[in-house]
Amino acid sequence: MGFIAPFMLIGALAIGVPIAIHLIGRRRAKIVPFAALEFLMATKRKTARRLQLRERMVLLVRALACLAIAVALAKPFTSCERKGPQVTRGPQAAVLVIDDSFAAGYLVEGKPWIKRASDEARRILTQLGPEAEIAIVRASEGAEQPTELTRDHLRLRDQLLALEPSARPADTTRALTRAAHLLSASSHERKTVFLISLVAKSGIQADEAAWGKDGPTLVALDVRPSAMPNLAITNLKVDSDPGTGTRGVGFDAEVGNFSDTAQKVELSLTIADHVVARGQLELGPHEKKTKRFLAALPAGSRASDASVSLGTPDALPTDDRRFVRATLRDEVRVLLVDGDPRTVRHDDELFYLEAALRPGDREDSGTSVRSITSEELAGITKIAGKPATINLDDFDVVVLANVAALPPERVAVLAEWVRAGGSILVAPGDRVDPTAYDKTMLALMPQSLRDPIDTTWGASPEDKDSRALHLVKWEADHPIFAPFSKDAPELADAKFYKISLLGPTTATSDRKVLARFTNGAAALVEASIGSGRTLLFTSTLDRDWNDLPIHPGFLPLIQGAVRHLARKHALGTESDHLVGASVALPTGDLRKLEVRGPDNLGAVFEGDRIMNRSSVRYGRTEKPGIYRVIGTDQTGATHERDELAFAINLDPRGSDLTAASASALPASGTGGASAPSDNTRRVELWHALAAIVLLLLLAEGILVQR
Amino acid sequence: MKLDPAQLQRLGSLPIKARVIVEGALSGLHRASVRGSSVEFAEHKEYSVGDELRHVDWKAYAKLDRYYVKQFEQESQLTVYLVLDASASMKFAGGGLAKLEYAGLALAALAYLVIQQQDKVGLVACGDRGIETMVPPRARSSHLHDLLGVLDQLMQKGGTGDESPAEALGRIAELSRRRRSLIILASDLFDPDDETIRALGNLRAQHHDVSVLHVLDPHERTFPYEGLTEFQALESGAKLLANPLAIRKDYLARMDAFVAKCHGTLANAGVDYHEVSTDRPLEETLLELLVSRARLLPGARRDAGRTG
Repeated sequence: MGFIAPFMLIGALAIGVPIAIHLIGRRRAKIVPFAALEFLMATKRKTARRLQLRERMVLLVRALACLAIAVALAKPFTSCERKGPQVTRGPQAAVLVIDDSFAAGYLVEGKPWIKRASDEARRILTQLGPEAEIAIVRASEGAEQPTELTRDHLRLRDQLLALEPSARPADTTRALTRAAHLLSASSHERKTVFLISLVAKSGIQADEAAWGKDGPTLVALDVRPSAMPNLAITNLKVDSDPGTGTRGVGFDAEVGNFSDTAQKVELSLTIADHVVARGQLELGPHEKKTKRFLAALPAGSRASDASVSLGTPDALPTDDRRFVRATLRDEVRVLLVDGDPRTVRHDDELFYLEAALRPGDREDSGTSVRSITSEELAGITKIAGKPATINLDDFDVVVLANVAALPPERVAVLAEWVRAGGSILVAPGDRVDPTAYDKTMLALMPQSLRDPIDTTWGASPEDKDSRALHLVKWEADHPIFAPFSKDAPELADAKFYKISLLGPTTATSDRKVLARFTNGAAALVEASIGSGRTLLFTSTLDRDWNDLPIHPGFLPLIQGAVRHLARKHALGTESDHLVGASVALPTGDLRKLEVRGPDNLGAVFEGDRIMNRSSVRYGRTEKPGIYRVIGTDQTGATHERDELAFAINLDPRGSDLTAASASALPASGTGGASAPSDNTRRVELWHALAAIVLLLLLAEGILVQR
Repeated sequence: MKLDPAQLQRLGSLPIKARVIVEGALSGLHRASVRGSSVEFAEHKEYSVGDELRHVDWKAYAKLDRYYVKQFEQESQLTVYLVLDASASMKFAGGGLAKLEYAGLALAALAYLVIQQQDKVGLVACGDRGIETMVPPRARSSHLHDLLGVLDQLMQKGGTGDESPAEALGRIAELSRRRRSLIILASDLFDPDDETIRALGNLRAQHHDVSVLHVLDPHERTFPYEGLTEFQALESGAKLLANPLAIRKDYLARMDAFVAKCHGTLANAGVDYHEVSTDRPLEETLLELLVSRARLLPGARRDAGRTG
């Protein structure tokens, strides 16, 4: 608060006048001899207290009146924020930034907030007049943005009328930046950004300034409801739960309370369109809690759609439900062939491999392993005249670890099994002779082997590590490398001292190098043989040629490789993606792949789009829900691929509707010389004070008359 | 012509004022003149030895040749006690005459009237406990001079003391135990214990005629004060600082209740009560009293003698 004439405040000293009059008046009372004093005394005793109170009130009222007169003469004023947009008609450039995040579907008095925003935007559009060049920028993350300003107000009006909440969270800062870019290209002097937004804290990056001092004028409309409490399912994870049975799965639903009051929420778990469990959670203000549901998937299916939703929808129903694909993990049956068995356990060729496939030797590891020596391979079935001791049909994957070249008849049996759909992983070692392999084993190999190279040969022990090779350039989209980031240190840090080189060509047509070493040599090569596939790792699976087995990347790499070979990729948590995500789908042996979203819209991958690709990417994930995949294999059979279906969910950041502070928005720039930059206005208070003086005088009169 | 009490005060001595008041009051009755004797003819009787020769009716002897003697009916003489409250509260003067002066003038006029009718009039004053002021009742005209002199002294002196009229009334009751009297009290009746009212009631119980002039100042009836005022009691010396506006309503209600109580109590006891404001012309006050006390009116005696 300030004063136009502050020196008039000296008049406040006049407050002493009524006090002085009061005190002096007591001394200068008239003296009247009076006969009937007894009557007065009786009256006075009765009313003395009331009179004293009234006298003090009169004194107070008079003092306040004096003070109010002095303050009113000093002409006090205060400043306040201007309400409503500063819309000036005429030639100018303006951008309407409208929040169309999924939070814009927040119900205010039964209607989505975005309708109110749209109405407000159209009002501004009208007020700006036909000479204004305008663009509409949507503030949801990843929204398509205009490239230029336009005077086609009819089209803009249609855009506003068609505006619907997206499924993305808000990214107000980026939208403002985009608005500033659009305006910077305009030749108009007056440049204004009208922000019609819920201004949620989660949508504003405080560290990113949308514009500098010369930026446009920002007019932030106050269209946000005073309170926006919200409840949301912010995360949903599923994992197997052996304790519940073979079909048991556990769901961890995280619920967020984005309000200032404690809430009690009811949750329900739906599997395959049936509500199978309900639960309750008590959440404090701004608290997140996780509720675990245990359930069994319906009999006869390996995978099901599941969702957890709030029992009672709140004002923002979009984020009250979250989807997940619940899949039972198929057990992969692996036959490990030990080419270099040792009596010392950790020297054995399979020591690390077995540990990686069955970590902790747990039943729920998803893998059943049987280890044999290369000699025992003689017992495999279909060898003429010999009883079958090992039935290859009992296994999904055979791993040949440092196995010396097998006799041609055994290779023939294995090759036939692979062509029928089996898979084989081959890893060399000191027992492997490339020349012998070329003679008998080529039917099982994606590429012929050459002599191994020892990169550390002749190096001193201290130079050995620096000369070692490392894994680089792996196919990040390939299912085997799905768990790894592009520069995953758990893989890249592993040192390879000796590797097998590969021959120049092979007969297989779809051979593919999935990973290479730093010297460019292939590390992992995949090829199809008939309906099966073969994978060649060019170093050992124990620590003879490398130290990969003692790196964290070894376990997921081996698990991924084995599951890929067994064509079993489904893992619950991996099928969870956010709206707008690009989802990688392994193509396997499919020649056509169709994705259908919750609204039955989707895309078809066939021909060149799928040929010679281990995976395809699907990016039209704008709706939350379950996306189904229908595949057609090489035989022409078309059926739904449950293991490839995936769930798309809302970004939980957008559920937090906590308002950002005014300072979080970029400061209003000059926006041109004639732009109104002052957002405050002066409110003079002396009128009100004058009214108060009048009231005080009236009160004084009434008090004195009584 | 009626005189304002304040103007009356400017007229010379008290006897003149008393006469002016009486004549003003009587002119209000439209009487042409004041009639003379109080001895009235009754009948004739034949002369016998011993009868006074001056009462022989010679005109009857000339007509009838026999001696007849006039017989007169002797009127019983009225004794009037005037009681003046000369306590300190009576010296209060709101703007015009003090209550004491007004009461004194009224009683002086009454004394004049009574002496004119050859009745006895006495004066008793109260207020100062140390001094007993008593003028015994006499009917001589020279007595009027003495009585008015005492009254004048009292008025000059102003009100003192806080003695209520009750004691003076008690004395009168003793003095006139065997003879019925007319007692006229002029007082403001500010008596915290209501002794005066009880004493008046006792006198009435002894078959005396009692009249009360309840003298009050207009300021006591209207309480016209404004601004912070310190009121000082005239008798007790007590003080009170107050805003008159704040207490006026309550005060007036109490004063009205007091007057109503006095009027009601005395009227019930058969006392002739007159509330008198000091700004009221004295002639009117006197006339009102005379009308209510018809015996005091000149000429009323004859009618009373015949009938009595």
